Amino acid sequence: MTPQYTCLVVEDSPMMRQLLVLALSRVKNLHVTEADDGVDGLRKLASGKFDIILTDINMPIMDGLKLVKRVRSDPAHKDVPIIVVTTEGSDEDRERALQLGANAYITKPIQAPQVIAKVRSLLKMDV
Amino acid sequence: MIRFRSMAAKKARVNRRGDAPTPVKKDDLKQKRDAFLQTFFKRGAALTDELVAENKRLRSQIEALEEEGASLRTQLASDNAIRDLLRKIGQLEREKARLLSAVHDQADISSRFAEVESELESFANLYVASSQLHASVEVRAVVRNVRELLMQLVGVRSLGIYFVDDAEHHLVPIASDGVDLAALPKIALRHAAPADTVAAAIERTFLTGVPHVAEGHIGAAPAACVPLEFSNRVIGAIVIYALLGHKKGFVAVDRELLKLLETQAGGAIVSAYLLEYADAPMPTADALRKACA
Repeated sequence: MTPQYTCLVVEDSPMMRQLLVLALSRVKNLHVTEADDGVDGLRKLASGKFDIILTDINMPIMDGLKLVKRVRSDPAHKDVPIIVVTTEGSDEDRERALQLGANAYITKPIQAPQVIAKVRSLLKMDV
Repeated sequence: MIRFRSMAAKKARVNRRGDAPTPVKKDDLKQKRDAFLQTFFKRGAALTDELVAENKRLRSQIEALEEEGASLRTQLASDNAIRDLLRKIGQLEREKARLLSAVHDQADISSRFAEVESELESFANLYVASSQLHASVEVRAVVRNVRELLMQLVGVRSLGIYFVDDAEHHLVPIASDGVDLAALPKIALRHAAPADTVAAAIERTFLTGVPHVAEGHIGAAPAACVPLEFSNRVIGAIVIYALLGHKKGFVAVDRELLKLLETQAGGAIVSAYLLEYADAPMPTADALRKACA
């Protein structure tokens, strides 16, 4: 039986979220859940099991860095791979996210093949 | 008579038999015999020599033939080996041609895959851009979406949105990103061409309706300037001053997006404004039917 994967996309910009979801819809057997910000992301995490998280860094209410920190300190989700979405010039944020436990990053403007490749790689999915 | 003749013959025969051999004759015979034997033996010896020589010659010939046979056998084996090698080379050549063809096909497929991937990316971006442009009926949200589209999808670092002020015959900046809105100048229309190259490009784009999008590596500002169309007229312009550092120029999908903004962003902004500020009630079905008639 083909394994099913779940992905949580945390992004406050509806456009970026739509773009990420559209890109991830090309990954077979991957179910995507959307969250508006860090707090919404934590809420969704608490109510379900996710195999991977994609999160923006700059978000209102709770940013991506805080979300990464919270996820890594939660025994239930500490091993879930996290990809942060950064903008050019935010090297510090990117480094901080990686230090906090993010596994990878992608830079805006995002490209679907790059997103797909990172997700497949972290989920160890066959191409 | 017959008897007489017979007696005479008989007598003659007796006489011949009765001749006693003389010693001279014996020696002579002996000599003859010896001579004969000598000759015989000499001939025998000569024949033997000839036979030995012939045997030798034949042996030598046989050896030569055997050598030749061996050589021929070797050559035959060698020919077979060469034939095998030639057959193998033929096979390898065919395999090489097949592999080259496969590699060529693979390259074609990869190239086609890259094209499809690029087109898919383009469609996805256009789909998202189009849906986000019309996702809100608030002017602020529509303008924010326009700015976000340019920054997130194209990779724009700084931009300005100008709108025409018909009464004042000016283009007025209404929104910006990456540059201070207050620092952007109003651009007078149909006067002497502005000295500032960016302002001149904006005015030209507005007046002609022809977009300016830098080809290749981005040099001096503006990187692009696209008119905003609404109801078959130009009502403003979007100016892109600079792209993000890692973005060296516009790609095909960016140009498609700029075209989309050119034809739809102006309409989306005006429609949102009219809806937001007209304070009109939702149209009734009857009113819409009349409007469609």
